[in-house]
Amino acid sequence: MKNTTETIHYDDRIVRYFLMATLLWGGIAFSAGLLVALQLAYWKFNFNLEWLTFGRLRPLHTNAAIFAFAGNAIFAGIYHSTQRLLKTRMASDALSKIHFWGWQLIIIGAAITLPLGYSQSKEYAELEWPLDLAITAIWVVFAVNFFWTIARRRERHLYVALWFYIATIITVAVLHIVNSIEIPVAAFNSYPVWGGIQDALVQWWYGHNAVAFFLTTPFLGLMYYYLPKAANRPIFSYRLSIIHFWALVFIYIWAGPHHLLYTALPDWAQTLGMVFSIMLWAPSWGGMINGLLTLRGAWHLLRTEPVIKFMVAALTFYGMATFEGPLLSIKSVSALGHYTDWIIAHVHGGALGWNGFLTFAMVYYLVPRLWKTPLYSKKLADAHFWVGLLGILLYYTSMVAAGFTQGAMWMAMDKGQLVYPDFVETVVRIVPLYAVRAVGGMLFITGFLIMIYNLYKTIKGAPAPQDEAVVVPARVEQHHAGEGHRRLEGMATVFSILTFLAILVGSAIEIYPTLSIHRYVKPTTKVDPYTPLELAGRDIYIREGCYTCHSQMIRKLDFDVVRYGKPSTAAESMYDRPFQWGSRRIGPDLARVGGKYPDLWHLRHMVDPRSVTPKSIMPTYGWLTQKNTDFLGLRRRVSVLKSLGVPYSDEQVSEADRLAEQQAKTIADGLVTQGAPAGLEKKEMVALIAYLQALGKKGGSDE
Amino acid sequence: MSDQEFDPMTDHEYDGIRELDNRLPEWWLALFGITIIFGFIYWLHYEFGGGHTQVQELNLAMGVIQSVKGSGPSFSEDQLNALFTAETVGKGHEIFTAKCAACHAAEGGGLIGPNLTDKFWLHGKGTSADIFEVIAKGVPEKGMPPWAEQMTEEELVATAAFVHSLKDRNVPGGKPPQGEEAP
Repeated sequence: MKNTTETIHYDDRIVRYFLMATLLWGGIAFSAGLLVALQLAYWKFNFNLEWLTFGRLRPLHTNAAIFAFAGNAIFAGIYHSTQRLLKTRMASDALSKIHFWGWQLIIIGAAITLPLGYSQSKEYAELEWPLDLAITAIWVVFAVNFFWTIARRRERHLYVALWFYIATIITVAVLHIVNSIEIPVAAFNSYPVWGGIQDALVQWWYGHNAVAFFLTTPFLGLMYYYLPKAANRPIFSYRLSIIHFWALVFIYIWAGPHHLLYTALPDWAQTLGMVFSIMLWAPSWGGMINGLLTLRGAWHLLRTEPVIKFMVAALTFYGMATFEGPLLSIKSVSALGHYTDWIIAHVHGGALGWNGFLTFAMVYYLVPRLWKTPLYSKKLADAHFWVGLLGILLYYTSMVAAGFTQGAMWMAMDKGQLVYPDFVETVVRIVPLYAVRAVGGMLFITGFLIMIYNLYKTIKGAPAPQDEAVVVPARVEQHHAGEGHRRLEGMATVFSILTFLAILVGSAIEIYPTLSIHRYVKPTTKVDPYTPLELAGRDIYIREGCYTCHSQMIRKLDFDVVRYGKPSTAAESMYDRPFQWGSRRIGPDLARVGGKYPDLWHLRHMVDPRSVTPKSIMPTYGWLTQKNTDFLGLRRRVSVLKSLGVPYSDEQVSEADRLAEQQAKTIADGLVTQGAPAGLEKKEMVALIAYLQALGKKGGSDE
Repeated sequence: MSDQEFDPMTDHEYDGIRELDNRLPEWWLALFGITIIFGFIYWLHYEFGGGHTQVQELNLAMGVIQSVKGSGPSFSEDQLNALFTAETVGKGHEIFTAKCAACHAAEGGGLIGPNLTDKFWLHGKGTSADIFEVIAKGVPEKGMPPWAEQMTEEELVATAAFVHSLKDRNVPGGKPPQGEEAP
């Protein structure tokens, strides 16, 4: 008689690798976060080193938290649960290893290039083109391995966790590729093909859905596996899984424009972004209630099991964040909250509470099982929970308070005049809250360190880990069983294609119309491109991450207009590659800063901001008066922009370096007559001043 | 029929995970429905129903601001001279230190902006009215902000009083003269 069962081994080694990487990068991401938090409380925490300034370190923090910490956590969970849900070992150990090491190398590449200032300035997509290519390649390796494993499954139907993994893999690929279409201009520099409102729309379509498909759908998948396993309870409702999965995948992709309310983005796109964000509320909560109601009859575990504790808190934070998101997407709420720390509070409620705590739950679940040893101390895990929770609450409340305070101060007007015309007043007021936030972050890290100690003690006493062996059916007939959605769950390819179509609809409808920017810019409108020197200055602005604190987008709101001037138009930024609208105002908007101050003011301000604005928290940028501008690289840069449709003359391309040197000489001579030292004409400072003085001066404001 | 509440679906089992098939909570369905209806109506209103565009809304709001703002302060030379007292000069000194010293130096000797303690003037001839005018309306093309947007009338007068008091002090280390000499 033929054997109907066989014994196989799951690849748990790769899970342990990803788990260790999660913990290592988690520590680094959190520490980088604490450092930037301290820099806002007291600017000298950048130690006057260019590599540690806020503008360069903030992208490192966000990328490390999202792609290194959460990324490795997702991979650990997916590799662990997928094998078990499909009753098969991962299809290729080699691909698993390439995925693991490739991803870690990308992270190391990011940790080196971002502090050096190699950045595209597109949030959560700052990494430059060589790393973008590497991410694409590794993601394809992951996808091949995953879908190949699905094809070899010994389970007829795909469980809901796998639906979410499929949506993640497909959508992240689409988002990353479309947002990263760029033309290299140097070894670690590039210009995106998207410009102005296109770039803004594509970037926030990406940015918002990085939250959706990197920080939400994969974690929902993990929740759907680890919560019922840890609580030993059946999932509350299969039909709720179906409804909220498809609703979430279809609706989420539309919501990106809520990051751009009242900007120069066309009204119709903003309206779509807002209404789809509101419709997203219930589908998001679908995941939360399916999780929480699964615990019916198991609530006593909340008292004894740290895993359940962390999961319940994570789901609660998820519920809070997915209520707050739609709320912030309402235009009039956004008018108050946009550019303020309320947004920072919102993302950290999600990142620390939902992603962080769910990851910790998973780690506490996995380590004892992977190392076949009980957890060293449940008490310490408990302590981790409470200290971490306190940290998150402190973080969240202080940043909401800071956001409301600053937002209200910006809006405050009396008899048509701003009550707080001096921007720095609105910063000084919230600096104490930055200190409270840093304490919150420290508590969160303290909890994390307690966990590291606990895991170290657990693993130290464990036997050498082995791959888990299981007896599985030798063969499963893959005929399509069931009806309706049940039948679809047996058809992995069709399921994946439908998921792809679901995210394609909203993407196409929102992005397609902006591909022809002339729909939104009158053909008669004349906007001058940046001169070669201004362009050089712009690239320095991007390198230093100025966009992390300064917006260049005056919203169509009275208090913005009274403070900064006419609202920004689509025409004004149409040649901006990448766009620099920004997302946070720790300093004032710069869209119309050109001509507002003399060149000497800018020089003194960048060498020592406090010499002109006594209470400023901006870093000093002394090295800009030491470093030479890369004049020779300008020809290539100008010519790439010309090929993308920016109206440069042939002379501006072939003579880019000479024209730039000429303009730099004029500015430097002017600075000398105003009392500055001589010899600045070759320095980056002059290029940056040229750029700042050009902002808002290139035409196109009368649309 | 099985009890949805407690009987897992018989053919759903994945690595030991079972599934119930409870009805969707009614409040959740209602929430979903209401947000969809709201979204649809909102969209109809702003796309086709004549809802204000953002530019129209802004113009309305700016109209309101113009109507409450008035025409801005204006004083004659004599009115100002009457207001320039030791008290206003003192108050103006504080404002000058906070807002003007960054460009004109603490003593008024000039730094980024011109020396205010000599006899030379770039804009006007250094009369009380000229000084007030330059402070209130600024010289935006040269980087001097229009302070009427940021200061109250009393603050403008006080600042002008202090700057007026600086004339001819010729503080040491001041910037070389710029503009035309005024008697």
